[in-house]
Amino acid sequence: MYSASGVYREEWIGDFHIIEYSPIELEKPSFALVSLPDTGLVGVIGAMHVVKNLGLREVAGIDSYVYLPPIIVVSGGFLRAPIRVFAGGNLLVVYNEFSMPQHGLIQLSRVLVDYLERRGVDYVILSSGLPAQNRFELESLKTYYLATTPRAIELLKNTSATPFENGFLAGAYALLLKELIHARINTILLLTESYLEFPDPEAAARSLEFVSRIINKPIDVKELLEQAEMIRIKARDAMKNAMRGLAQMRKDVEQAIPIYT
Amino acid sequence: MNGEEFDEFIKRMRDLERKIRDYVESELERALRTFREELKQVEDTLRPMWHHEGYLRPLYSIRDRGPYIEVFIDLPKADEKTIEVKFRENYMYIRAKLREEVVFHGVTGRGGETRFHEYREVIELPFKVDPEKVRVDARKGRVKIIIYK
Repeated sequence: MYSASGVYREEWIGDFHIIEYSPIELEKPSFALVSLPDTGLVGVIGAMHVVKNLGLREVAGIDSYVYLPPIIVVSGGFLRAPIRVFAGGNLLVVYNEFSMPQHGLIQLSRVLVDYLERRGVDYVILSSGLPAQNRFELESLKTYYLATTPRAIELLKNTSATPFENGFLAGAYALLLKELIHARINTILLLTESYLEFPDPEAAARSLEFVSRIINKPIDVKELLEQAEMIRIKARDAMKNAMRGLAQMRKDVEQAIPIYT
Repeated sequence: MNGEEFDEFIKRMRDLERKIRDYVESELERALRTFREELKQVEDTLRPMWHHEGYLRPLYSIRDRGPYIEVFIDLPKADEKTIEVKFRENYMYIRAKLREEVVFHGVTGRGGETRFHEYREVIELPFKVDPEKVRVDARKGRVKIIIYK
């Protein structure tokens, strides 16, 4: 099914099928930006912009007959898997705009961590939104971070990102973060204030300013901000679908106040 | 059993009958409400976010704030001067013209050929609205509508 674009290598990990279209060689230190549909689609919109802005090449796809909806992505006449992998220079981007049930996300998290580890990725970056109740009124957005290792924290030195010290995380990135911690992979989770239920390109742009610092490559967000309204229009379906998953994964917990801090 | 005891027995039986009837009615109403909500969700899932006649459906959310509800509607590229909000019973009718024609270039099929000019949506609210008790605020193509209960 993917032969139209050529298959360089393929493998099955559990119920997931990974298809590589060409060899993947990342410069060192290497980074992986993983995007999943979550709060305000901040990660997905950001990843899409990074792929376009840095001119990354589509190098692989991830599919599952068990955990992903029966979907084929058709892009430029090529048949692609629902989860798309792009790469160039020292960066690999995992792009997924399709929601998955919780048990599927657990499996996907394990598969991704295993794959990224074997690919020798040095750092994983997760970019998501932090629901802000008064987002409608907010003009400047704060970005918080969580880093899993001292090496990861080093990359955020001299930035204005605020450490996320107390609170709850729920959803796709929380699951993925747990797996990355188990695998002891240097990981940074960026959380930028955003709408929960509407696509938020402004929050994605803010988050990308930090991604750019982390990977030490300029990412121009001017075009992203100029195209923000069109992106919001195009992202309505993905956001509508993501909302169902967010409700199932108790995303409301992120706004709860912990008793013990 | 004397007459007084018999009357008391009948009264208790009637109370019990009324309680059972109330319980069955409320459970039936709850089941119907749940069924209706689920059906609406399925319908909504299968309903595209655009219409071939050239209008888009916006995303929206409703938050209950106690004495009032907030309805947020995402209307990117909408001309804020043309936003129309009308109420009938517990339904809110939204219409807004787009500042410029929108086309999804590169998408194969009618979705990529249709030219879009406006937003249209009907939103079911949890209560009947008094239009005098409504406040509308629009910023950057996003609308907040406060409706007092």
